[in-house]
Amino acid sequence: MNEQPSWQDLLDLVAQLNESNFESASVSYGNISVQLSNSDTFIGGAAPAAAPAAAAPAPVVSTSSTTPAPAATVAAAPAAPAGETIDAPMIGVFYRRPAPGAEVFAKPGDRVEADTTIGIIEIMKLMNPIAAGKAGVLGEFLATDAQAVEFGTPLVVIDTNA
Amino acid sequence: MTEKPVVLVANRGEIAMRIIAAARRIGASPVLAASTADADSPVARAADRVIVIGAAPAGQSYLRPEQVAQAAVHAGASVVHPGYGFLSEQPKLCELLEEEGIAFAGPRPETLRAVGDKGSAREVAIAAGVPVAAGVEITDVTNVVPLGEQIGYPLLIKAIHGGGGRGIRLVTNPEELASLAPQAAAEAEAAFGNGALYVERYYGKARHVEVQVFGDGEGRAWIFGDRDCSVQRRHQKLIEECPAPNLTDARRKVLHDSSRALVEALKYRGAGTVEFLVDTETEDVVFLEVNARIQVEHPVTEEAFGVDLVAAQLRLALGMDPELPEVGPVPPAAVIELRINAEDPEADFMPNSGTISKLSWPRGPGIRIDTQLEEGYKFPPFYDSLMAKLIVRAHNRDAAVAAIRQAALNTNIEGLKTTLSMHDYVLSHPDFIAGAVPTSWFGPVWEARKENNA
Repeated sequence: MNEQPSWQDLLDLVAQLNESNFESASVSYGNISVQLSNSDTFIGGAAPAAAPAAAAPAPVVSTSSTTPAPAATVAAAPAAPAGETIDAPMIGVFYRRPAPGAEVFAKPGDRVEADTTIGIIEIMKLMNPIAAGKAGVLGEFLATDAQAVEFGTPLVVIDTNA
Repeated sequence: MTEKPVVLVANRGEIAMRIIAAARRIGASPVLAASTADADSPVARAADRVIVIGAAPAGQSYLRPEQVAQAAVHAGASVVHPGYGFLSEQPKLCELLEEEGIAFAGPRPETLRAVGDKGSAREVAIAAGVPVAAGVEITDVTNVVPLGEQIGYPLLIKAIHGGGGRGIRLVTNPEELASLAPQAAAEAEAAFGNGALYVERYYGKARHVEVQVFGDGEGRAWIFGDRDCSVQRRHQKLIEECPAPNLTDARRKVLHDSSRALVEALKYRGAGTVEFLVDTETEDVVFLEVNARIQVEHPVTEEAFGVDLVAAQLRLALGMDPELPEVGPVPPAAVIELRINAEDPEADFMPNSGTISKLSWPRGPGIRIDTQLEEGYKFPPFYDSLMAKLIVRAHNRDAAVAAIRQAALNTNIEGLKTTLSMHDYVLSHPDFIAGAVPTSWFGPVWEARKENNA
């Protein structure tokens, strides 16, 4: 069984896994290997990682040197302000700009759509564009540039009624 | 005074609590990498700091090597302890950490690969002189009956490139072998991209006996006796003990010597377990697999020999002396462990979750409880059903069986169903009291009990 799988084969596979309880699956199909994860909340509605990451050069600073001093406890996340926030969909280092010195992706007062990129989270040298996930007008940024964030750390205030 | 090294605990539940205790023992600062479901757990409160790595499902948190490695970077960790399960035997985590200059409390990635695949583990074992089950590769699936004659029935057809129990079939006669072999080859081809098969002798009444090993990564080996883990239900261990009862000196020597040879050949680093089947019908002892991690049942060995294996793992990973003694083949005490699971033994061991409304543990000499349970704790539905391990040490096996039975009766966990009643049944059963039941013992005995009660 060494022939290439067709697109239909792959789609069937995805459909089948989607209906099952797998959290992740890795399937080798001839000489093609497919990895799937059922991670709806992980990516948090971000745009596909590959293309935008290519357009976003890696920040010059290395991850280890940007690590801030450890905060004390569970309550490390800043006190959540009133209203809605866009939260980090993954652990990593948050960047507001595609490259050092470049313009920020978004700033307070900007109107964003669900698919608007508001920043990048770097995790183990992989750049993940972070989409707003909801439409609205951005308020204050709660995470600063190059800040270490955890899953669920509020990044920016958003007014979805504006 | 140098700063305390940071230990990142990349696990949850009782083993995370255990790793935190070991970190404290060596004077390090434990930081927990937790999912959102565990961010406010008793383990989280026991750690110096918690880093939330992802959502509750393990596939979005505990099973993501890049998220755990990132947490180690955030924490400024010197070492990551993966516990058991999750990423403990994933070379990927080990490699990501190596790139960051962070130690992994476990074997090298190449060791994890060498023992992680059934075929290569068997090759490594054979090369080190470890006894393996008589087996032979199938070269022609249309002419397998002569191979069956050679091995004898019952036998197992196994996919050489299979793993995790997949691609294994039990065959009891030549007709089955002839019809199942081509089918198994096609399945192996589809599942593993390679249809290679071998047939292996099947032991239907064997005990599960394993040897606790520790290596310094440069060829030095410590052997900390053996454990019997034969009380199992569907390959899940329920009760473990150290030493394995009713094992002749000759058999014990084969197990220990071959495990030592394996550790030396692999230049194995850290704690590991070499698992064997010890047949009750013949004198055969055969290699099963190497578990390249600390195991759930490690406390029986620790209590029997008076060592701290988890602290030794951390010390070794930090470049320190593991501070382990050389010990004899049989410990000076007998120790038994019960796995208390959030399962209903009267309802086919169905897992359940809920809030622990009341909790009390027995006290007394030789009693150890490894758990993160406390009153008010909401036992989450996302993970393994292991709630706690009750471990009791006594001067001999009979005393240990009697003592742990009373300890279990004096354990009170309210709020959800547990396997405690099942343990009382086993601990009072004459077969268990006699020692050395095979792994096939528990299933039918438990079913028969229910029928007798009906």
